[in-house]
Order: sequence, then structure tokens, then C-alpha cells
Amino acid sequence: MQLTASRLLMSHLIALAVFALVTLALVPLIYSSGGIANHDIQRYGKYLCWAALAVSLNLLWGYTGLLCLGQCVFFGLGGYAFGMYLMLNVGVDQVYKTALPDFMDFLGYTELPAHWKPFESFGFAVGAVIWVPGVMALIFGFLAFRSRITGVYFAIMTQALTYVAWILFLRNEFTFGGNNGFTDFKKILGANLYSHPHTSTNGKELLFFILSALLLIVTILLMIALTRTRFGKIQRAIRDSENRVRFSGYCTENFKLFIFTLAAIIAGIAGALWLPQAGGINGDVFLPRESLWVVVWVAVGGRGTIWGPVIGAILISALKSWAQREYENTWIIILGGVFLIIVLFLPGGISSLGKKLLGWIRICRSRTENFITNRKKKVDPNGDGEETLQ
Amino acid sequence: MRNLGLIIPLLLAIFGLPAVAVSESIKVREKLAEAAISSEEKQIQILESLIESGDPFIAKVLIAWRRGELFLIEHEGSTIPVLLENADSKEPVKAFALKNGKVLNGKSGKKLTFVPSQQKAAETTRNLRAQIKKTTDLLAILNPNPKLRAEAAFKLGSQGKPEYLTALKNRETVEDNPKVLKKIKEGMAISQLRIGDEKQRIQAAVNLGELRCIASLDSLERIIREQEKLTKGEKNIDLIRETSKAIKIIEVHKDWVNKGQTVFRGINYGAVLLIVSLGLAITFGLMGIINMAHGEMIAVGGYSAYLMQKWMTGFFGPEALQWYFLLAIPFAFLAAATVGLLVERSVIRFLYRRPLESLLATWGVSMILQQCFRLYFGAANVQVNSPDWLIGSVSVGDMSFNYNRLFVIAFAAVIVLGTGLLMSKTSLGLSIRAVMQNRDMAASMGIRTSRIRMVTFAFGSGLAGLAGCFLSQIDNVGPEVGSKYIIDSFMVVVTGGVGNLLGTITAALGIGTADRMLEAWSDSPVVGKVLVLSAIIIFLQARPGGLFAANSRSLD
Amino acid sequence: MSKPQEFILTIENVNKSFEGFKAISDLNFYMDKGELRTIIGPNGAGKSTFLDLITGKIKTDTGKILFGNEDHDLTKLREYQINRLGIARKFQTPSVYEDHTVFDNIMLSLPESRGVFSSIFFRLDSEAKDRITEILKTIRLKDMETVIAGALSHGQKQWLEIGMLLAQQPKLLLVDEPAAGMSDDETKRTGELLLSLEEKHSIIVIEHDMEFVRQIARKVTVLHQGKVIKEGSMDSIQSDPTVAEVYLGRKHSTAA
Repeated sequence: MQLTASRLLMSHLIALAVFALVTLALVPLIYSSGGIANHDIQRYGKYLCWAALAVSLNLLWGYTGLLCLGQCVFFGLGGYAFGMYLMLNVGVDQVYKTALPDFMDFLGYTELPAHWKPFESFGFAVGAVIWVPGVMALIFGFLAFRSRITGVYFAIMTQALTYVAWILFLRNEFTFGGNNGFTDFKKILGANLYSHPHTSTNGKELLFFILSALLLIVTILLMIALTRTRFGKIQRAIRDSENRVRFSGYCTENFKLFIFTLAAIIAGIAGALWLPQAGGINGDVFLPRESLWVVVWVAVGGRGTIWGPVIGAILISALKSWAQREYENTWIIILGGVFLIIVLFLPGGISSLGKKLLGWIRICRSRTENFITNRKKKVDPNGDGEETLQ
Repeated sequence: MRNLGLIIPLLLAIFGLPAVAVSESIKVREKLAEAAISSEEKQIQILESLIESGDPFIAKVLIAWRRGELFLIEHEGSTIPVLLENADSKEPVKAFALKNGKVLNGKSGKKLTFVPSQQKAAETTRNLRAQIKKTTDLLAILNPNPKLRAEAAFKLGSQGKPEYLTALKNRETVEDNPKVLKKIKEGMAISQLRIGDEKQRIQAAVNLGELRCIASLDSLERIIREQEKLTKGEKNIDLIRETSKAIKIIEVHKDWVNKGQTVFRGINYGAVLLIVSLGLAITFGLMGIINMAHGEMIAVGGYSAYLMQKWMTGFFGPEALQWYFLLAIPFAFLAAATVGLLVERSVIRFLYRRPLESLLATWGVSMILQQCFRLYFGAANVQVNSPDWLIGSVSVGDMSFNYNRLFVIAFAAVIVLGTGLLMSKTSLGLSIRAVMQNRDMAASMGIRTSRIRMVTFAFGSGLAGLAGCFLSQIDNVGPEVGSKYIIDSFMVVVTGGVGNLLGTITAALGIGTADRMLEAWSDSPVVGKVLVLSAIIIFLQARPGGLFAANSRSLD
Repeated sequence: MSKPQEFILTIENVNKSFEGFKAISDLNFYMDKGELRTIIGPNGAGKSTFLDLITGKIKTDTGKILFGNEDHDLTKLREYQINRLGIARKFQTPSVYEDHTVFDNIMLSLPESRGVFSSIFFRLDSEAKDRITEILKTIRLKDMETVIAGALSHGQKQWLEIGMLLAQQPKLLLVDEPAAGMSDDETKRTGELLLSLEEKHSIIVIEHDMEFVRQIARKVTVLHQGKVIKEGSMDSIQSDPTVAEVYLGRKHSTAA
């Protein structure tokens, strides 16, 4: 059953091509023929952004063994950075009749705070989507990796990080909208962001869906390429035996820092593309449980695999939105139960289900065979296939 | 003396005495009864004469009188002043004769009842009301309860009336309680500051400074403001100088008091942190399970307290509020330990070799439990009441310590001590430590490791339950009562050094104090928290293993 | 103390204690270039700590550790920097990349492109491939190059790890208990392998197995309670009464 490296590569690329065909051609086609509603395509776009977020966590956790419980910090920072641009393009047609964002009028600001000014430029905001999460990861990662905070400690420290972000962003004085956050976006580069059916304005819903799909495709391509390089192999070597890597002349801290920063940037871009499709953002994006959900996506889909996180993110999100509607009160219990079962009995996630099934079939077959032969020999059937039971 | 303040209400509550207490002195009663039906002139005379008796019962009657709750009832041909059992009642209630405190009986010996709103109340004139106020004010500094006496002394002084000043002076000569004496002195000084001559005022300012009287800051500052308005010739330079000096002294003192209070609040918060993290120090610190369900174990404890309260008040009535909590403590421990036991057997025992997955699994458990709370108890907080004996405070100097805060600290000390003893002195503790350090070795020594881990996890969960039971007294109990504390708890355990009880204690108190001090310093709870968390991250740079990390040789 | 140029490793007055326990106390140790040195000592003598100090896994409390002709002070360097100077270490329990193939294990140990960015753009040329093949032949794993390392036997993993050290082209090899868990035959072949490396590299071997030590021993250093108590040929060590008391004596009585 061992797939050779090149056959594995081919199957990944074929899957990616199919995925690209569906998201970049099929969905846009159905959408333009009116087969998909605006809010639906926005929902699909959000799933794709979440999938990219999951892939970024997988890069860290699945491939390098660094469990980050604060991946949404970077997602949120990307979202906020882009949101600042969108907020400054809402225009004056609001409650307070000024060019300032509403919450600033409400808090009594008469002019834009200095750190908001550069975000009037689209280019600057797009840049900030990349460098703000990147620099944040660089600083935190530098401190964490330098003092060799790994494993459980790293997980808890990143959770503390997202907690700090949460309490900060909920404060009005932090100048990012406090509890209400950013919402009511209208325009981007002068064009309307959202369609209005009754005025027949066309929005940019499809554009953002396509951008989200592109982000995911590029990210997955990057994953496929990276895992095949010496770098990608070192990454997995760090996960399995960091000391050996260190004593082979690699500065593992630099590797981890690079991966952490890269993952943060991917998460940041995902957050920025997610924002206009979600319609708003507030401090709750930094709630520790939001980042835990990302971990769940990766764990359920299968960590350390190319497609696992994508499957996990989309499947769980879709399941969640369906179950929330159908089983308003018990959906969390159902989801928690499913999740528990997967963690306990399917540590490799859904991606490993196929392999596992094959394994079970083989065990069953060999058992029956053993059973039959043992019957014939009338020998105590001890130790047949016991080790595969675990 | 301090205890009396606690015991008397307790006794009252337990024996359910009516608000109208039986007065020792019938003479006083008779005089009051006489006053109720006399002319204004006579009334004022009687009230004046009553002051020196110092009986607090007088004040009680006078207050009722002023409120219109002293009733005059025509009974057997004469007008009898009475107090009714409950003046707000819409139903007929019993009446107590003011004269002797006895219940009014009819001819047949049957107790008579009256509807308050239909009775004639004893009237009060303007002059009488002034006299009532004066009498009650002056009686207050004779109150046998030193706490009330001290309070009254200061209040009297700050009214700045000459006759009160005299009363204070008289009291000063006989007062033997040093705390009350201090208050009387403060009251006299503040009185003199307002009504004395120039010389007396200067002396009063000096005295207030020496007494470090925080409550007089306003009055002193007012002096400065008044003096500033005056022309140069009118100004009293000496008064300004002495007043400013006093203000400075008092402000320094106030600063210290505030600092002391902050430290106390810090220790108190540290104790809360310690209580909520102790269970985690066992399940995460010792066992290595990243127990995200710790918060829900706390919630189990909180809801246990709620259920116990509900059952006990349902069965024994509202008096049960005074003691149900004592039953809730063991119940919360057992309930959380049972839940912990089930979780360990059904989930965690499969994950001992996979610590990061224990995080995921316990988070799943936490989601499920939290939703179960929501379904069963509702998403809103449930009401858990504190017994009366946890309300109130004790003061030392100008600092006051709430009973429930002191209770937190005592509670933390008791459970930490208990846990410490269990771990170090019992054979169970020995087995636990053996299994946690080297499971295979312990197993080969004949210890049933699987059972030990089950017990340990249940014990850790039980401690979390205790934390929740206790949190029900200072916080709201809701589905998320515990998950609020989960990150704080992890920070405490990590900062203290995993698997080290002493480290957990130090870290909890350190983080608690630092948090409250930074909060006081920065004037914002958020800045304080952010700074503390940043400090922890930087601290872990220097000591990645925490405060008390074992610096041992590793095997490779 | 001045140091003659031919020493590859100079350790002077090194101390290290853990929570009050002195693992290494006032240790002095000198080693010639191209030497094969065997270090023996009873349990807890500080043998592994000794290697940890050289490789920078733990830091010394006091003292200096100098390496090579340029006198690099190892106490000031980090693990990967020490490794890049040419010091390779084999761990007590075989430490290989269990998720990678045997070939990749060796490939990742090649000294080129060990930076973050250069490793992304690293391409395996034919010269490097030949080197890997050479090493695989030396450690007798050529037929198994596509096997995942996790599937190897214990002995094979030990050999693979030695191969990984060789790929690093080190000047000094630190080998911690290479014979642990090996069959007699494997032990013998491991000894031969180490002896064959003797000329090209300087080697420090830490070993418990006295049979194995006799096979490879040139100069032997005896560690006891963090100190060197005796240094010399195997024969002189075996006849030394102090050594016999702390180590060989007990060993002999149990072996006999």
C-alpha cells in the first residue's frame, strides 16, 4: 500500500486541480447564473478562509509539533488591519455625519488617531495585513523559542497571548471599537462591497470568494512544495526528535521562528479576506475558544497531512452551521461527542480513516484465517494479531 | 469586644427574637410612655432627662415615634402608647404596651390584634422632632456597642454643634475603649475646627494631623479653600500652615492605608487564584493532563452549592441559609470528584501517553459539560446566597477587612494544608507521587497505577469542586463560572513550576498581589492583567521551568 | 596552564552541579588529535554529563572547554554551533528521525545547507548522493535506504545514527554506549566500524560493556564521582587497585 513519493505528489496535484476547477470555474459559473445566493457564497468564502487558517496551524502543529492555541490572534490581527481600511471607507453617511468611524464619534474623538491615518491607504492596509501578524509572531516566537518553551508550555503561552489580545481589544480605549468592533462596511477602492438586490447594485462577493480560494490553493501548493524540500523534512525531524536536529548543526530556533511567522502571515491574510465576507469583527475573535476550534478542525481532519485541515475546517464548520439550526440546544454536545470519539479512536483524523479501515479489514481477515487454522490445529490461539488491536 | 458584634446578630437570628426587645429598665419605659401622651414642653423635658440613661432602647422607640410607628390605642378607657409587632403589616398584628413591653390583652385574656394603618399614631411637632434627633444623636455615643459608639462620636463632631462638643467632652472623660476614644478626639477636633476660635482651630488642625484622621481631609481642605478667598489681612497664616501640614501628614497616612488595602486585596485575589488552581496543580501539574475541563469541575462545585441551598431551604426553610454552606462544601467535593472519576475512566485513561491530545479531549468534555449546565440550570446565573456571618468586616486602624475576604484566605490555607498533608504524610500521597514520577517503576513495586491515577484525578477534580463551592460565595454561579479562571489557573501552575505545590502557592500569591498592585497603579484592571501576563511570559524566559523547576539531569 | 597545539580537546577545571549534587568536579581532560579514547566509569560517574558539557546541552558552572587548533571555547557556544565546528554526538538511546527514510536520515545530516533559507532551496547533487551511498554501505544499510527509520531494529538504528554522524564529517565523534542493546555479533561489528574510523577522526567512546571496551580500547580514562581517577592503557587500568575498587573490582566479582 506504500505510495511512492512521486505518486503521492501526483495525487495531491490532481486533487488540487479538481479543487481549483470547482472553486475558480464551477462555483463562479453557478453564481453568475443565479444558482448561489450572495450570503451563501459569502459563507463558502468564509469556510475557505477558515481552511487556510487551519492549514497554517497544521504547518505549525502537524508538521513541526508546535501546538499553537492562539492562531486566531494572527487571523484577527489580519482582519483588524484590513478592517481599519474598510472602516475609513464607510463614508459620512452615518449617525454622526463625520468621516470618522462611528465608534470614535461615540467616544468623543474629533480627529483620527495617528496610528489610524496610514490605513486610509489601501496599499498600506494590505501591507499591514502581512506585517502586523508577522511581526507579532516574530517577537513572541523569538522570546518563546529562545528560552526553549515547547510542547505544553508553548500551547499555554499562546493561549495566554490570545487571552491578552481579547481583553485588550474589548476595551474602548484601545481604539479598535471595543465591544462592537468594526462593522457596516460599504466600499472598497471606491466600489461597493456588497450587492443590494432592490437597488441592483453589484458587490464584490464573488471576488472575495475567488480570492479566498486562491489563497487556499496557493497555501496548499506551498505546503506540497515545502514538505518535499530539505526544509520540510527538517521540520518533521524537529517534531520527532528536536535534539537530534540540534546536534546535527541546525539552529532549530530559527526554523521554528520562520515557520511560526509564516503560519502567522497566512493566518493574517486569511483573516483579512474573511472579514468582508463575515461583515464585521470584534474582540471575540480572540476568545481562547475560537483558537481551540481551529485546533479541532486540524485534529478532526488529520494533522500532518496536506488535505486533512481543509477537510476538517470545512466539514466541521458546515456541520456546525447545520447542527446549530437543527439541534439548537444539543448541537454542542453532539459535536463535542463526535470530536471526543475522533480524538480517542482516530488520532490521525478523518484522513486516516481509509487507511485505518483497510487495516481493520486486514486484521479481521487474518483473524478469521488464524481462527480457522487454529481450530484445525487445536492449538491455544494466543497472541494472534494482538499488537494491532491498540 | 469585637466578637459581640458578630454574636449578637447571630443569636438574634437563631432565636428569632422580635425586633421589639424587652428593656431592662421599666423606668425608662414608663417615662417614654408618659412622654408619648404629654404636651410638647413636657415631652422635650422628658427626652432631655432620658439622655443620660444611655439605654439604646430609647433610640429605638424615638425612631419609631418619628416615623409615626408609635401608636396610641384607646384601651379600657385610657390611651395606651404601644408598639406594633410589624408596623408595615396589612393584617392585624399584636401590640406591645410601651409602658411594660407586655402584649395587650382583651378582657377574656385573649391577645388583641390591630391593623397598623387603622391606628392613631403619636404625633410629633417640629420642636419635638429636633429634640428626638438630638436625643438619639447623643444616645448614640452612649451605645454599649463600641463600633456604633465610635461611628456616632465622629458623626456628632462633624455636625459642629456646641452642645454636641460638650457631650463629646463629657464622654471623653469616661470612655475606656481606645478605638472609641480616638474617634471622640477626632470628633472633638473636627467640631472645633468648625466652631472654635482661631486658636482652637489651629490646635484642632494639629490634632487631626496627629490623629491621622482620613475622614477629616474634606474639612481641612475646606479651611484652605475658605482662607484662600480671604484678603491678605484677614488670612490666618498659622491656621493655613498647620492645616496644610495636617493635610500632608494625613495624605501620607492615607496612601499607606491604601497600599495596605491593595496588598490585602492582592493576597485575597492570590488566595482565590490558589483555590482555583490547586486542583489543576494536581491534574495538570502532577499528572500532566492539560485539563481544559478544570473550569467545568469548578462549575460543578458551584452548582453543588446551589443545589444544596435549594434542597436545604426547601426542607428547613430560610434559616437553612445560615448553615447549608457547611454541607455544601463536602457535597461539592464529592460531586466534582465523581464527575472527575467518570471523565477519567471514560476518556483520560486512554490518553496518558498523549498529553497534547488530552488537551483536545478534555476540551471536548468541557464543551459537553458546559452545555449540560446550560440545558439543566439555564444560561443565566443562579442565585447562591451567603450566610449572614460572611457579611460585614473587621477594621484594624483605618484598614477594614471583609469577613468574606478573610474567609477566602482561611479557606485557601485550609485546603492547601490539607492537600499538602495528604501528599506528604499519607501512604496514598506516597503512592501518588511514586506513580506520577515513574509509572513503570511504581507498577513493578506493586502499586496499582491505574487505580492511583483514577483517584488522583478524582481528587484534583474534587479540589476544583471545592473551589467552585467557594466561588459561589464571591462570584456568580453560571455555566462559565469556572472557564473564566482556566487561563489564570494554567498561568499559576506554569509559573510555579509544574508538579510543585509550593511553587503553585508562591505563584498564586505573587500573581494575585502583582495583579492588584498594578491595577491600583495603572487605575485599570485590564492594563494590570496585561502587564501581569506579559511579565509572566518574560519571567518564563529566565526560568522556562517555572519558579521551582527541578533542575535535574535528563536522560537521552 | 599552556596547551600544546596537538590537543583536539582540552578540558580544564570544569565543575557542574545539579541542586547541590556535584556531577562533575574539577575535571581535567586532554585528548590528542586522531585519538580513540574510551571512557569508563560506574553508574553516576558523570559520563553522560561529560558529553552534555562538551556538546553544549548543559552549561558549565566554571572552567573551560577548548576545541581544535583555533581554541574555540565551547562553553560559550550553542549546540548547533558546536556541532558545526565538527563535534558530532551519538546519544545513548538511538535517536534517528523515525518518520523519514534511512536515505533521508543520512541526507539531512549532510553538513551543507543547514540554514533556514538554504535548506528550502537545497538540491541533492550526484556528489552528495555518492557520499550518502558510501556511508550507507559502511553502515550496511544500503539495501534498506527506502525503509522508514522507525521500522529498523534497535541495532540498525544504532548503526544508522553512527552513519548520520559520519555524514556530518566531524573532527570529533562522541559515541555514547554504542553497544547497548546489540547482539554479540553486532557489537563486534560496531567495534570494527569504530576502529576503522580511528585514523580519520578523533573519537570518544563511552561504554559499559567491558568485552567491547577490551576490543576497541587504546587509551582509557576512568571517571568516578565527576573526576578522572586514572588514565592509561587497558592493562594498566585493569591492574590499578583504585580502579578495581570503584569499578572493575565490582564488575569482576559479578562477572565471575
